[in-house]
Amino acid sequence: MSDHRLTQTEASLNVTGADLVNIKVNGIAVKVPKGENVIEAAKRAGVDIPYFCYHPRLSKGDAANCRMCLVEVAMPRKNPDGTEVIAKMPKPQTGCTLPAAEGMEIQTETPAIARDRKGVLEFLLINHPLDCPVCDRGGECPLQNNTLFYGPETSRYIEEKRHFPKAYPLSEQVVFDRERCIHCARCTRFTEDISGDAQLGFLKRGADLEVGTYAQTSFKSKFSGNVIELCPVGALLSRTYRFKARPWDLHTQKSICSQCSNGCNIKVDYRLNSLQRINARLNEEVNEEWTCDRGKFGHEYVNSPNRLTKPLIKKDGEFVPVEWSEAYRLLAAKLKEANGNVGGIGGYRNTNEDLFVFQKFFREVLKSNHLDSRIGRYGDSITKPLFERFGYYTMGNAISELETMKTIFVLGASLADEQPILFLRVRKAWRFKGASVIHANTFDTVDTTKVSDFAAANLIYKPGTEITLLYGLLNLLLVDNTNSIEITPQMTSLMKAAGEYPLEKVAEITGLDPKEILKTAKLMATSPTAFIVGDTVTESPDYLAIMQALGDIAVATGNEKNINVPVREVNSQGALELGILPDFAPGFVSVSDPGANTHQMLTSAANGTLPMLWVLGAKLAEKYPDRELVQAALSTAFVVVSELEMTETAQYADLILPAASFAEKDGTFTNCEGRVQRIYKAFDILGDVKPDWLIFTEIASQMGTNFPYFSARDITLDLSKSVPSFTGITPKSLGDSGIRLRN
Amino acid sequence: MSSTDTGHAKEPLPFPAKEGRFSENAIAELEEIATHYPERKAACLPALWIAQREYGGHLSAAALQEVADHLGLSYTEVEGVATFYSMYNLRKRGRHHLEVCTCLTCAVLGAYEVVHKLENELGVSVGGTTSDGEFTLSEAQCLNYCGAATVVQVGDKYFGQITPENVSLLIDQLRNSTDYTPTKLADSIVKLHLSNASETGGGSHQAEEILNPPAGAML
Repeated sequence: MSDHRLTQTEASLNVTGADLVNIKVNGIAVKVPKGENVIEAAKRAGVDIPYFCYHPRLSKGDAANCRMCLVEVAMPRKNPDGTEVIAKMPKPQTGCTLPAAEGMEIQTETPAIARDRKGVLEFLLINHPLDCPVCDRGGECPLQNNTLFYGPETSRYIEEKRHFPKAYPLSEQVVFDRERCIHCARCTRFTEDISGDAQLGFLKRGADLEVGTYAQTSFKSKFSGNVIELCPVGALLSRTYRFKARPWDLHTQKSICSQCSNGCNIKVDYRLNSLQRINARLNEEVNEEWTCDRGKFGHEYVNSPNRLTKPLIKKDGEFVPVEWSEAYRLLAAKLKEANGNVGGIGGYRNTNEDLFVFQKFFREVLKSNHLDSRIGRYGDSITKPLFERFGYYTMGNAISELETMKTIFVLGASLADEQPILFLRVRKAWRFKGASVIHANTFDTVDTTKVSDFAAANLIYKPGTEITLLYGLLNLLLVDNTNSIEITPQMTSLMKAAGEYPLEKVAEITGLDPKEILKTAKLMATSPTAFIVGDTVTESPDYLAIMQALGDIAVATGNEKNINVPVREVNSQGALELGILPDFAPGFVSVSDPGANTHQMLTSAANGTLPMLWVLGAKLAEKYPDRELVQAALSTAFVVVSELEMTETAQYADLILPAASFAEKDGTFTNCEGRVQRIYKAFDILGDVKPDWLIFTEIASQMGTNFPYFSARDITLDLSKSVPSFTGITPKSLGDSGIRLRN
Repeated sequence: MSSTDTGHAKEPLPFPAKEGRFSENAIAELEEIATHYPERKAACLPALWIAQREYGGHLSAAALQEVADHLGLSYTEVEGVATFYSMYNLRKRGRHHLEVCTCLTCAVLGAYEVVHKLENELGVSVGGTTSDGEFTLSEAQCLNYCGAATVVQVGDKYFGQITPENVSLLIDQLRNSTDYTPTKLADSIVKLHLSNASETGGGSHQAEEILNPPAGAML
């Protein structure tokens, strides 16, 4: 029923020799993929065609409404006498909808096209207020640029323009200036094609046409910020950035979003040491060119007035700011006193460089293996659910591989909240590649932008019945063999486990409709199937058993490499890779005397056997499942907290070390698929703040061990030498799109 | 109704309808119409006519939501369609909607005198609704019944040869009627859709039935 249209990007990327055609653009001969639109084809010849509404990632169905990309086209035609002539089409054509064909000749700079562009722009500017001097977009506005290059000098329109209220609050993040809108339909197509909430649409018609939401309700997408960047005029604007800066005053630095583990490539725009806004940066392998709202607007903490600027020592229950020298003196004394009995918790928000020095300091200087970056419920060996069985740790697939799946099984995840970019890929697989999506969770969120909106099967099961559901599915797959799977000898043991879960029993226990379970089993016939596992499962007490059952299904359907248990925080993956674990050194090298995990550390801290804890940016008090244990542990032990601002956890600290944010330091992050990507220092460090790797290096030197690091770059280079999985990863080789670690 | 057909999210209802107001017949009609198209989306226009009839003559927010839910469309998309076409009533109308044809023939034969007389008689100007909620007065473009100019359309009925003199008779007749006169065009459209496509003659016959003024309607 749904319309799986191929995007233009895909037509452009799927270039194969057999499908090339010869065209000429302004007399320049060039080979382009057959069917590629003329705008993209002309780019190959180095010719730019101006446009507003065309966007390669949006479906082309509603485009061609700005008329800016008009070109003159001539095609070869056979005369009745057999001779061939190049016949010019009588009217100009829109480049965005015209597919390239053999022998096509395109002219983009003729007097007629110049006149047409003037005419188009004169119409587009009829209602546009031309308030560029007070418009945020002024200076980086496609309408402004195209008008300057191609537009008429004056307008003949002397009548009254349309007037609407300025800065209409469309959503919590986006304000809307209807007067400036040129009705390109990019934002409406975005909500329909990409984010899938379809909340923006065209209302009324003709001269009254306007973009709006249903009954003037709030625009509540989790990806609403993208329409600001998509808008080719200043109609959709960010509420936080509005009137903050002019584009020409901003400096831009490449970075990676620090809000979740997806590792979106972003541009940090800053001015006078203060972060002004975040825009998306293109990376086809990760975020394409999208961001989620959490990433785009959740960066206030960088410039927050609550940022810590000096080390703080707790004296008589009050935090007193001190110099670093005093902080180090106290820290060194306490570390010596503890004599290696020190636990390190956290690090999931730090760069790989910070983490490498963190564990090096603990293992080499303090001789302690009490390290753990995980503050979730599961604290056992990281190898257990997946590695021992399938040979990989968290995500079997790369993010971009999800597109190639025929079926995607989302288990126990509010995907748009937990993994926004994975959500967009899953939706892309469904909308543009024809994949079927199965959504199984104990609940369905009520808000917009969710997997269940487009899922072919929705399984809302009773809490705690995941194992029953999965073995029920396995029973259908193997014992009933709904999909006629070829039964191999090693499947017989799986059949034995599944045999105890007939459909009726499963339906009763899980509270699901048997038809829906049957439908799901049928859908799983079309391989490849990817499994994405979320918080409901990873925070479940039955985590290992559920993963065992899921692994059985993966084996039965031949998808052993397609299980994905993505981590949650920006560098959780990097912390695993770099051995912020009690039992592994960097590169998953087993250590001979494993230390304590988070739970054990907190327990021994609470009963006094672990006298000192170093909390590296972990929100223990806020997030750890056992709140009372955390409070007991943090109040008993001597606690060092490295943090950006005063958090609830930091309140318990005896010594707080102010740390640098992602915008103030160089380094690399590893995202949930294991892709190492660079971040660059955007602006100067605030006050007396230091990057964490420097803090560890300096305290190590106070304690008599000198680490040979003078910059984050030194550490990256050391990483590539000393950690096997990081071989070949240097600042230079990472480039702009990063490198995925071999699992 | 599943919304998976187009994959559009359903936000929580801003104007929660207690229950859908579509009667069983209306739903049956809608489902029948939907089978005529490859996509449910295509049944949006007749669905809106049905909604307008079921919701007492105008498309409220709840009516739009019910159409969207039945067809698996987004609310915004349905609102976009409803606001695009001028013959859907987006605001509440009176019990009787008087549409006076003021196109060429009727205008020549005194349509504006009828309009002014109606304005005086009802105490509203064109586009307005009387305070008792009985009448809405508006102008219409050519109603395709020039032989009986001036024509006034009330719901699905045509009243021909209206003059300033006999217009009060029409008002009285309508005021005394017990029923309301919604545009039931949806019924006719539904019939047209349901009639077999091969009986093209049948289609035009149906159309004639719509436009033929019922006996006794002429004053």
